Amino acid sequence: MDTMQTQTQAATAVQTAAQQHNEPSWLINKRLAALDQMADLPMPLVQRFNYRDWELMPGNLQWADSKRDLAQVADGPVQIVQVGQTTVRVNLPEKLQEQGVVLTDFFTAVKDYPDLVQEAFMTKAMKANENRLASYHTAYLNAGVFLYVPNNVVISEPIDIQLIQDNTLDQPLNSHVLVVAGRNTEVSVSQHLTTVGENANLANCLMEVIADENSHVTVATLDELGRKTMAYVERRAYAADNASVNWAVGFMNEGNTIGNFDTELNGVGSRADAKVIAITDHDQRMGVNTKITNRGKHTNGNILQRGVILEDSELVYNGIGDIIHGAAGSEAEQENRLLMMSSNAHGNANPILLIDENDVMAGHAASVGQVDEQQLYYLMSRGIRRETAERLVIRGFLGAVLSAIPAKAVRSQLVDIIERKLENGR
Amino acid sequence: MATLEIKDLHVEVTDEENQTAKEILKGVNLTMKTGEIHAIMGPNGTGKSTLSQTIMGQPSYHVTQGDILLNGESIVDMPVDERARKGLFLGMQYPAEIQGVTNAEFLRAAVNARRAKDDQISVMDFLKMLDKNLAILDMSEAMTERYLNEGFSGGEKKRNEILQLLMIQPSFALLDEIDSGLDIDALKVVSKGVNAMRGDNFGSMIITHYQRLLNYIVPDVVHIMMGGRIVKTGDASLAKRLEKEGYAGLRDDLDIDVALVDEN
Ligand SMILES: Nc1ncnc2c1ncn2[C@@H]1O[C@H](COP(=O)(O)OP(=O)(O)OP(=O)(O)O)[C@@H](O)[C@H]1O
Ligand SMILES: [Mg+2]
Repeated sequence: MDTMQTQTQAATAVQTAAQQHNEPSWLINKRLAALDQMADLPMPLVQRFNYRDWELMPGNLQWADSKRDLAQVADGPVQIVQVGQTTVRVNLPEKLQEQGVVLTDFFTAVKDYPDLVQEAFMTKAMKANENRLASYHTAYLNAGVFLYVPNNVVISEPIDIQLIQDNTLDQPLNSHVLVVAGRNTEVSVSQHLTTVGENANLANCLMEVIADENSHVTVATLDELGRKTMAYVERRAYAADNASVNWAVGFMNEGNTIGNFDTELNGVGSRADAKVIAITDHDQRMGVNTKITNRGKHTNGNILQRGVILEDSELVYNGIGDIIHGAAGSEAEQENRLLMMSSNAHGNANPILLIDENDVMAGHAASVGQVDEQQLYYLMSRGIRRETAERLVIRGFLGAVLSAIPAKAVRSQLVDIIERKLENGR
Repeated sequence: MATLEIKDLHVEVTDEENQTAKEILKGVNLTMKTGEIHAIMGPNGTGKSTLSQTIMGQPSYHVTQGDILLNGESIVDMPVDERARKGLFLGMQYPAEIQGVTNAEFLRAAVNARRAKDDQISVMDFLKMLDKNLAILDMSEAMTERYLNEGFSGGEKKRNEILQLLMIQPSFALLDEIDSGLDIDALKVVSKGVNAMRGDNFGSMIITHYQRLLNYIVPDVVHIMMGGRIVKTGDASLAKRLEKEGYAGLRDDLDIDVALVDEN
């Protein structure tokens, strides 16, 4: 069979599945266009991290229901819970519904709010033809969430998005969370990614945030995909004039993972703050790009990444500050720090500054090191055992990012995960 | 009653640059009991900090000869945390700074480290104890919510060492230049803290360059250290004599053969 034929077969399969799913033609065409260009696109570049032999594009689009009782998640006031492709519940208070807020499953939104979705999906924050995994994602999309906050609406309660990958089944999770925040809005989103079941599957989880003029969007994530999940996690934001986007990513996946977090500061005076914590263990490999692009004038980007590498694992942090010509009066700061807890750990903290404008302030700091023996000695001289002393120092090291997580519940969950990983991984 | 005995202690450090061993302590003998305050004085570079760090168990200092006994048991092979749980405390000349860990969180971990797993201190009891000790040291509660020693002034660090002393309640406290960099008021406060610990269940080895501290914390015994040895032991009046004569005078009186840093 030649490639031409394979390609046609794949297209037919995707088209059939999408039609079976009653999708509108614009979405089907978008899938097919993405599929068509896939082979010609490069894989996402993660510097100093080799994932050439990872199988990140299993080509099957199938629809399957998951058992609802696989979702063991406490009820929340503003919440959507999905296990696999199945939406288990949506809690959206009446008051928010009246204000025009939409929180729903992605494909329901495609039917009920076609214009809103079509306008925002893979058009502004990112495009399907950016890299091969983005186009794969578009072609094989099989789950997702749509959150829409109309102009001038301020939501005080954090919006809880719980996505559970169903590894009792044999299929990838290609999930898309699309967040559209209108002008003068304020919204805080927490996303929790977990896995149930023992099968080995891919997770390709994307999130797009479109932050319109003067909107303020905060996203806190707790990524806890399972050990048998190979994951590609991409989170993108587009910020219009005077908008701000704050990320706090708790990257605690247990399997091999690539993270790609990228915010475009397009509007004048827009700001982004990206904080990332990761802990790797066993023989896990994780590569993370965190990028902020200053495009508009007087934009401000701040990247802070901290990671702890246990046992034989590998963690690479690329911090990328890209200042485009014309972004006068902008600032780009970044700090990437890694702690290596074993002699078999591999770490790389790599600041990349691309500056094409004179009138800017930019700075970076990076370090890869071990726990400071002087600090340990000091703590131990007070009777504190070595393990406890190490955990205190590590928690202190991660503290700069932890304290930035707005939702207290997410923060304490993250602290628990960190404690557990440190306990197991020593 | 607890005892701390140092017997013919010889200690080396390895020079980082040329990897050669250098002997710093050359046979120190000293015995102290709880209920006693010992002062150690001596010129710069003579080995006072080395002595206190070696007793505490700083891994860079290697005992090549002699022994350290706590209540008759040798501790030279014990790690630092175990020595601490057995009752030793070192107020350091240069305390470490630890970002992200609050003073209060650290103090609680330290207090709990000496208690059994099923007998950890309650939050209420801990706060009560903390408040009492903060009051003794004239420290604000805000200091306990700051990160451990991070950005503390020299004087604040010293005060914080004494706060730990009061919270941990060790049998023996080795206090290394706890008075350096303190203004007069702070000196009084810190002395008050140490004096609050005084009693039958507490002994202290106070390393200082200045007689003035010993006016506030009156020692039972004063030792003079030179060239890695204790060369003279006496009562509180020895410190006063030293103040008058200086180390050179004392050395010549005693006919000791060591070079002092300031002499060429
Ligand atoms: N870790 C070390 N590595 C190398 N040399 C050391 C180390 N610790 C101490 N020394 C050396 O040992 C000698 C004694 O140092 P120590 O700090 O014990 O003196 P001290 O009596 O406390 O002096 P000061 O009054 O100045 O505090 C000095 O020459 C010092 O440089
Ligand atoms: Mg000293």
